Amino acid sequence: MNTIAEHIADFLKKYPPFDNLSFQELSEIATSIRVVNLEKHKTLFQINDVLHDSFYVVASGVINLSIIADAEETLLNKCVAGDIFGLRPFFAKNNYMMTAKAREESIIYAIPIATFRPFVANNSEVLDFLLHSFATNTSNPNDMENIGGKLISDNVYYSNQQSEMQYFQLLSYNISPLKVAITSMVQEVAQQMTDSMTNGAIVSKDNYPIGIITNTDMCSKIATGRFPITTTIDRIMSSPVVTVVENISLAEAQLLMLKNNVTHLCVTKDGSDKSDIKGIISEHDLIVAQANNPGVLIKEIKRSQSPKDLKSIRDRLTNLIQKSIHKNVSISNISNIASEINLAIIKRSVELSILDLGSPPARFAWLSIGSQGRKEQLLLTDQDSILIFEDVTADKYRDVKDYFLKLGKRTTAILEKVGYEFCPNGHMASNMLWCKSLTDWTKQYNNWMNTPGENSNEISSIFFDFEIAFGEQKIEEAIENIIFNNVKNNALFFDFLGNDALRKNAPLSFFKKFIVEEVGTNKDKFDIKTRALMPLIDGARLFSLSYNLRGVNNTFMRFKQLAIIDPRNAEIYLNCSEAFLTLSKIRTLEGLKNDNSGQFVNLQELSKVDKENLKNALAPMRELEELIKNKFQLTQFS
Amino acid sequence: MLDWIKNIKREYPEFWKNYLSKFDKKSNRFVVLCTETTGLNPDKDVILSIGSFSVINNSILIGDSFEAYFAQYKFFHDNGNLNEFTVESKMKKLGESEGIQAFIEFIGNSILVGHHIDFDVEMINAALERLGCGRLKNEALDIDIMHRKLLDINNKQFSLEELCEIYKIPKSDRNSSSEDAYKIALLFLKLKSRLGLN
Repeated sequence: MNTIAEHIADFLKKYPPFDNLSFQELSEIATSIRVVNLEKHKTLFQINDVLHDSFYVVASGVINLSIIADAEETLLNKCVAGDIFGLRPFFAKNNYMMTAKAREESIIYAIPIATFRPFVANNSEVLDFLLHSFATNTSNPNDMENIGGKLISDNVYYSNQQSEMQYFQLLSYNISPLKVAITSMVQEVAQQMTDSMTNGAIVSKDNYPIGIITNTDMCSKIATGRFPITTTIDRIMSSPVVTVVENISLAEAQLLMLKNNVTHLCVTKDGSDKSDIKGIISEHDLIVAQANNPGVLIKEIKRSQSPKDLKSIRDRLTNLIQKSIHKNVSISNISNIASEINLAIIKRSVELSILDLGSPPARFAWLSIGSQGRKEQLLLTDQDSILIFEDVTADKYRDVKDYFLKLGKRTTAILEKVGYEFCPNGHMASNMLWCKSLTDWTKQYNNWMNTPGENSNEISSIFFDFEIAFGEQKIEEAIENIIFNNVKNNALFFDFLGNDALRKNAPLSFFKKFIVEEVGTNKDKFDIKTRALMPLIDGARLFSLSYNLRGVNNTFMRFKQLAIIDPRNAEIYLNCSEAFLTLSKIRTLEGLKNDNSGQFVNLQELSKVDKENLKNALAPMRELEELIKNKFQLTQFS
Repeated sequence: MLDWIKNIKREYPEFWKNYLSKFDKKSNRFVVLCTETTGLNPDKDVILSIGSFSVINNSILIGDSFEAYFAQYKFFHDNGNLNEFTVESKMKKLGESEGIQAFIEFIGNSILVGHHIDFDVEMINAALERLGCGRLKNEALDIDIMHRKLLDINNKQFSLEELCEIYKIPKSDRNSSSEDAYKIALLFLKLKSRLGLN
C-alpha cells in the first residue's frame, strides 16, 4: 500500500462506476494500475488491434475515440478526466472496433481486466454500468443525453445514410486470371486469350505481375502492323500494372480505373506489384457488381418472364439485405429498398397471371396487407393480400368474381414459387372471403369498425395496413376513406384495437428475464415477433388511426410522424421508433442466419451485448402501453 | 596470500552480494526515486524517507513501488533537533539498515531515475558505507539533464516545481517523497517520449 495508490483511489472514487466501490476496494485496484502518458496525437489502440489486457480511465487530458469509415475519420466521443473507455475486452473477444488517440497530452490509468473482473462480478451496479456503457449506441443523440456524456460506448453502429449502399459492396472478380510468361510470343498469348474467352492477360514473373496485355493492346499494336505477331509479349504489354488489394470496393475500383485510364486492375496479395497475383478486375466486373443495385433489380423484375427469374432476383435481394446490414446501412433505408423490390415482385406476379388469363373484365386493386403493406418485409415471410374489384352488374358478377379468384390463385401460386409462403390464416386474394367487390369490402370494413368483436373476435388488424401493389389507385383511396370516416368518434373501435394491442404477451418476466417459449419446436427461444415487434406495430397503427395519419403505413415512420403531431409524448414515440429498428435488425439477422422468418430468436446464441440491446429495446414498450391505456380509457373489452 | 581478497568478500553483507550478482544482465526496468533528507551534506545528513516507482514499457506501475520512512533516532538525538513528523507519524518506520537493505533489493539492476539524482545516489552510498557495502552500480538518469538536453540549455538548473510547471504536471496539495517520485515518474515518461528514447 502506498500513498500514490491512495491518491488514485481518491480520484476514482469521484466517478462512476467506481463510486459504487469502497475505498478499500479502490485502493486494491489502484495498486495494480499502470499509469501511461500519451503524447499529443499518440494512438493508444486502433481499429482491429488485438485487445489489451486493461481498460482505461482518463486521469488528465482528452482522448478522442473515432472510427474510420470510407477513408474518413469520424469522431465518436471525447473522453475527459474520469471517463472510462476501451471496455471491449470485458465483453467481446474480437479486436477493437475504434481508435483511441490522444487529442492533447494525456495521462491515463490502465486498469487490468483481471484485477477488475472480481469487483464487477460482485457488484451488480458496476456491471450494469459497464454493460450499459458498452451497449449504448452513442451515435444516437438521444442516448447521449440519457447518459450525461459520462459513458463512452465501445460498440458502434455506424450508419452513413447519405452513402449509397452499392458503393460499399465488395467486388467479385476473376480469381484465376490468365497468366503468361514474359518470353511468350504474341501469337501464343492471343490464342490463349481466345481459348479462355478473356480480354486480358497478366504477364507475370515468379507470380508477380510485370505487365498486362489486353484486347486494346492487341488491336493498337499488332493489328496496326506496328509489331509482328512473332514478337515477344514484353514489347507490347502495358507496364507497370495498376495493382490493388483483395477486398477493394466497387467505388475504389472505379476511381482507380478512371484515374489511371485503364480497363483492368490486377489484384495482388498486399496490393503492391511485388506480391503474388490474386486475380484481375475488369470493367465488366464493375458492371456486374452494379447489377446488384436496387434499381437494376427492379428493372430485371419488370423484364422477368417466370417465377424462377423472380426467385433468383429475390435471392439477390436477400444477399443485398445481408450485405447492407453488415455494412451498417440503417435498417429503415434497407427496408425501404427491400419493400420497393418486394412490391415490384408482387406487381410482376400479378402481371404474369394477367398475361396468362387475359385482361381483367373490370378494374381492380391488388393490395398487400400486413408487413408488406407496412413496407417492413425484409425476410421472406408469408404473403398477405386482398383483392378489390369495382362493382359490376349482377349478371356479370359471377364471371367477374370467378376471374379474380383465378387471378388470385395464380398470383399467390407464383409468389409461393418465388419463396413467399402461403398465409396460414388464408389472408390472401385467392381466398373467396378476401377477393370481393368494393361494395362488399365497404360493408366489411364498416362491420369491423362499427361492431368490433361481434362477428369474429379475431379481426385481423393487418387489414388496416395496406399498400397497393397493382391496379386502380382510386380503389385504394376509397377504402382509405371508408376507414377514416369510420374512425371519427368511434370509441368502441379504438377500445377493441387498444385491447388487441395490449393483449400481447409480455416479453420480460417480473425479474427482467426473457420469457421464452415453453413447449414446441421453438422451446427456449424468444418469440420476438409476437412479444416485441407486434405490440409496437399495433401501437403505431392504433395511434396513427386515431390521429388521422394517412398514407403513412410504416411503423417507424408512423412513430416519427406521431412525435410531430403529439409533441407532448414525442419522447415515447421516438424511443419506440428506435426500438423498432433495433428489434427489426435483431429479427432480420436471426432470420438470415437460419434462413427463416426470424420469429424465434435463440437467446443462447446472442452475445451479451446483443442481449442487452434487445432488453433495452423492450423498455419503451411499457411506456407505450401506458399511453394507450390513458388515451383510450379501455373498458369495454378488457 | 589471497586471504585479503577473501576477507573483502566476506566483509560484504549477503544482500549486497546478491545485489552485485544481478548486474550480469541488462535491465529494461527503470526505478524512479526521490529521497527526503535532513540536509544537503552526504557526510553529515541522513535519509528520512524514500519514495519510488518502477517504470516498465512506458508506464508507471503503481503496484511495483517502494515507500519507507527511516527512523533516524540517533541522528536526531546527536543533533538535538527532534523531527516530530517522523517520530509521531503513523507511517511504518524502518531502521536505516533494514530500510536501505529493502530498497537495494527493490531496485536490483534497474536504471535509476530522479531529479538531481546524483545527490540521491550519494546519500544512499553514504548509508551503504555505514553498512559496510560498496557503492551503487546502477546507471542513473536525471530528468533535469534530460530537460536541458531537450531544450539545449546549459547554463541553468531547473527545480522539480519548475519542471512540473513547464510540463503541466497536475499539482497536488500533498508533499512527500512518494508524491515527488510520482511527479518525477510522469516527467520522465513525458521527457522520454519527447527525446525519443525507448
